[in-house]
Amino acid sequence: MLTIALPKGSLLRDSIDRFQQIGLDFSAFLEPKNRQLQILDPTHRAKALLVRAWDVPVYVEYGQAQLGIVGYDILREKKPAVAQLADLNFGGCRLSVAVPQASPYRRSVDLPPHGRVASKFVHCALEHFRRLDLPVEIIPLYGSVELGPITGMSEAIVDLVSTGRTLQENGLMEIEVLFDSSARLIAHPLSYRVNGDRLLDWVEKLRSVI
Amino acid sequence: MIHHPPAGARDLLPLEVAQKARINDQLQQTFHRWGYQRIVTSTLEWLDTLVAGGAISANNVIQLQDSGEGRLGLRPELTASIARAVVTRMTDNQPQRLCYRANVFRNPPEGYHGKQMEFFQAGIELLFAGGVRADAEILLLLTDCLTQLGLSDWQLILGDAGLTRSLLAKLPPTLQATVRDCITRLDYVELSQLPYPDNEAKNLALQLFDLRGTVEEVLARLGKLDLQGECLGLVDRLQALLCLVAASGDGPANLVLDLSWLQPFDYYTGMVFQAVSRQADNCYVLGQGGRYDQLLSQYHPQQQSFPGTGFSLNIEELHQCLLELGTLPTSTAPIDYLVCPVDDTAEGATFRHAQQLRRQHPDRRVELDLGGRSPEELNTYAQAMAVGQIVWVGADGPVDL
Repeated sequence: MLTIALPKGSLLRDSIDRFQQIGLDFSAFLEPKNRQLQILDPTHRAKALLVRAWDVPVYVEYGQAQLGIVGYDILREKKPAVAQLADLNFGGCRLSVAVPQASPYRRSVDLPPHGRVASKFVHCALEHFRRLDLPVEIIPLYGSVELGPITGMSEAIVDLVSTGRTLQENGLMEIEVLFDSSARLIAHPLSYRVNGDRLLDWVEKLRSVI
Repeated sequence: MIHHPPAGARDLLPLEVAQKARINDQLQQTFHRWGYQRIVTSTLEWLDTLVAGGAISANNVIQLQDSGEGRLGLRPELTASIARAVVTRMTDNQPQRLCYRANVFRNPPEGYHGKQMEFFQAGIELLFAGGVRADAEILLLLTDCLTQLGLSDWQLILGDAGLTRSLLAKLPPTLQATVRDCITRLDYVELSQLPYPDNEAKNLALQLFDLRGTVEEVLARLGKLDLQGECLGLVDRLQALLCLVAASGDGPANLVLDLSWLQPFDYYTGMVFQAVSRQADNCYVLGQGGRYDQLLSQYHPQQQSFPGTGFSLNIEELHQCLLELGTLPTSTAPIDYLVCPVDDTAEGATFRHAQQLRRQHPDRRVELDLGGRSPEELNTYAQAMAVGQIVWVGADGPVDL
């Protein structure tokens, strides 16, 4: 049976909405009392797994789910071997470099060599500074990255920005965008090639409701 | 200190060995029936030899200390080694049919911890034969191998590296590398956003991305692409191959023609294929192969090129797949006779009788009791291990207890 990996968190509502539009109902995941991690569509044509956004590409790469929805930011960071089939045009945000407003830095290249940058997106940040030929130390953090510069642990952060409010409220400013991100439809490459469980039909339907 | 194998390396215990040996023995028998002879090449190769074909990156090779003459590596596949051996020692221009069973080693890609590093493969290479008939033999032999193993629910994904390359060559040269990369990674999003000079180029690139399906579908779509020259010749050849395989009556039952199938680096010049199977919730890649008509020139002293084609089967994946189907033995072969001395004076007679049984029944298993167990304990042991029969031996020969 077609298995779909859905991301917990900010992309979940829109993801469920898209599947509802093509006739697959996983809205039970949205009920506050829901504790189930795996549910069957009422028409019994597909099932969905509720997993952390960072784990969506893992389930899809290993083929336990044939389809998944995940942010482009995570795909850029993890570089999983999955097919990227559509930009779903929701969950828009950007991965940016931010520094304290009071700091003198206005571009990435202004940062001092061998400075520290806190980020959850270690590979993306490394790639960015490597391209600028600026040696920095990346400090991996897994939440509230803004605290890095506030506590003085790092000069800058590389983090996702959607409205910019969190940055502002913490006295930080965005100085450079690494890339824009939005939700992507991904698929297990082999399943896509052999069109198991009529995967292509579902992909076409999802593309038609973007 | 606890000693265990390095992450990614494994010990195989007797039951698993018996199961995998049965798979491999069956494959080798099939290879032999098609006239293939076994070749054994070195586990160690010069790193330069392994990477010469352009398909293997040095990062994927587990490298060993520099011997002073050059860097050594553990083979990540057999094709390069066989090509090297054959082109320097076996070129009499007759087709060479060679098979192997061997372990190969690969460095896991970055970011994967503990991923398998040592793999077991069985495979064949058909060298110095370039025609459609040789291609057909390879596909039919692969099908025969999987049929003999009792696998029917699998799919052949068949591509054509030469044809796909010549279709890519119809795109503007500046875009070819990026389009190739997007198609290799199956990235439709980036592919659809590239700066195409016109809609024609964009349509072609997007069509290439999904140029797969049943043979009829894909050939029909190819027919609409307005192909010329080299492309047409390659399409004709592909059609001839598909016709021949179909005419044999024993071709793969489930074939996906996939002309979007590219690998980041490979030495394939013609057909490329993968045999895959989905059992329960897992997808297994049972084997892969293709035609490589330029590879042998890398190893020839005068860079002369010769045609070659072949495939390798992945024993671990076949094993997992057959376990799901429940067709493998679930225990090691039981002992037929447990021979026990009645007392210490009967030790010599026990050895003699055991040896006599072995001579009498060459295909049966005879185990000797090494002492320290009461008759009751021996009975319990024999029952638990499904021993065929306990034979008690006195100083003068077998006795009834």
